[in-house]
Amino acid sequence: MSKFPILFSGFFLAMGASAHALAQELFIIANPSTSVTVADIREIFLGEKQFADSLKVVPVDNAAVQADFLGKVLKMDAARYSATWAKKSFRDGINPPASKSGDAEVLNYVKSTPGAVGYVATKPSNVTVVQKY
Amino acid sequence: MSTLAPSYCRRHPLAAALTAASLAAVLPLSVHAAGESDRIRELEIKLERSMQMIEMLSAKVQKLETGAGKGEGQTTTASASGKQEERMDSLERQVAQIGAGSQHKSDDGIPLHGFADVGYALSNRGNTQGSGPKGFGVGSFDLYLNPRLGDRIKTLIELIFEVDDGGHTEAELERAQMGYTFSDAATLWAGRFHTPYGYWNTGFHHGAQIQTAILRPRFLDFEEKGGILPAHTVGAWLTGNLRTGEGKVNYDLYVGNGPRIAANSLNPNMASDDNHQAMLGFNAGYSFGGAATGLRLGLHGFKMDVNDDLGNKTDVLMSGLYGIFLNDSWEVMSEYYHFNDRTLKSATPRSGDTQASSAWFAQVGRNFGVWTPFARYEKTSLNENDPYFFNQVNGVSYSRQAIGLRYDLSATSALKAELHRTRMNGTNYNGPIGDGYSEARLQWAVRF
Repeated sequence: MSKFPILFSGFFLAMGASAHALAQELFIIANPSTSVTVADIREIFLGEKQFADSLKVVPVDNAAVQADFLGKVLKMDAARYSATWAKKSFRDGINPPASKSGDAEVLNYVKSTPGAVGYVATKPSNVTVVQKY
Repeated sequence: MSTLAPSYCRRHPLAAALTAASLAAVLPLSVHAAGESDRIRELEIKLERSMQMIEMLSAKVQKLETGAGKGEGQTTTASASGKQEERMDSLERQVAQIGAGSQHKSDDGIPLHGFADVGYALSNRGNTQGSGPKGFGVGSFDLYLNPRLGDRIKTLIELIFEVDDGGHTEAELERAQMGYTFSDAATLWAGRFHTPYGYWNTGFHHGAQIQTAILRPRFLDFEEKGGILPAHTVGAWLTGNLRTGEGKVNYDLYVGNGPRIAANSLNPNMASDDNHQAMLGFNAGYSFGGAATGLRLGLHGFKMDVNDDLGNKTDVLMSGLYGIFLNDSWEVMSEYYHFNDRTLKSATPRSGDTQASSAWFAQVGRNFGVWTPFARYEKTSLNENDPYFFNQVNGVSYSRQAIGLRYDLSATSALKAELHRTRMNGTNYNGPIGDGYSEARLQWAVRF
């Protein structure tokens, strides 16, 4: 059998696999000074946990992959997330997380802000990866 | 290729099938990852630019190395490399400062939010206690702001503008509270706050858009609208949560000015406590985790001495329980209040009497995307011998059934329709009431 079709098929499979992998990966990241666990992530992004030891936790949303994060980690849709924060803000005076436009902005923010916790789709460096989805 | 493909497939059917299968597997993923292809192109452009920059820098380094000779070149290269590193460090610091500056600017802003609602109501109520609304009406315009004053210091200021039954616009400082967060387990607030009994009063309060129904349960209404419980307290409030396994314990402890009854309505005594006897209260609940996430059960209670302007004084002792279940599909809430009041001083010779009363409601809502139908039943059984209830305009036993429908126009705007049937049966300062009435209401509520 000629090698050409096998290579051709393998190329398409690899393209599809990598595209699918890019769409699926999600890295929860934290500033190296921040001590948070996987169990803390949901609490942090719903305003239930504001401190990690004595450090103020600063969650930050990533607009580019927020839908993925909400579905995989918080198990809710954007409307419910918005409503949850509206109630939290109204009852407890806590402001919702700041929203950054994409991975680069989130990564820079988390690296430079003690207590920051965020999420990105590309594998990060120089930050603590709390969990990979 | 196009002319060769058919003959190639005939000669190598297995290979052709494998290629076709690969395409079939990839195409859905490609559709799914269509958005990623733009991103990949963008990254490729950035990579190309970075490669060009690296080539330029390499060329410069090579030029420096060859231009001044071996020894001098090494010194010059080391010197140039050192300067480049210093420049890069300086640039990094500047970028970090710019980033910190923009972050600081966003923190300095004062987040201002609010609610507003307008509506239409039709009621056939008409008795000695008053008549119901008929026609269009402006509901309320509520503004609240929570400026960030530090990692641990919080402030919440809420101002509301409402139109009363007479058509007059009233402004009220709804909340003015300042807090310090010691940890997730303890935040101490001081000022005027929503009294933390049950769930509804602090969960919704004047937030019409975040509340599924149009009306609050009647007995939980605000003081100026005839509510029989102190919806607001001026004092101090300690609140927090503690994680226990999968779940969490939530608690509230509060102390403040007890209310008084003036002109047959509760007055929360915002400026001072008329009888210098503080109101004490608590709320303790458990929020389940795991498979029961969304379920919260709790106990609540308060004690207060309440004077009225007829010379009565009542020791009000409330205890009760509540439960809620909230998730994407369901909103279930129920609260029960039991009163074991004691008349301390009476305008009529009845001091020392103990009177038992109760009040409760249960509401169920089911979410179907943007539609949420709901139903509620509420009931009070108020002892007529209790001056605390007898001397309030709505201190009469009643029951109410309500059904309604909420439609979410957007994440921040909702249309609601509600029908309810109310039956009152009791006696208060105005005399006996055995009245039933129906109401239909529409509301458009927004938040921002």
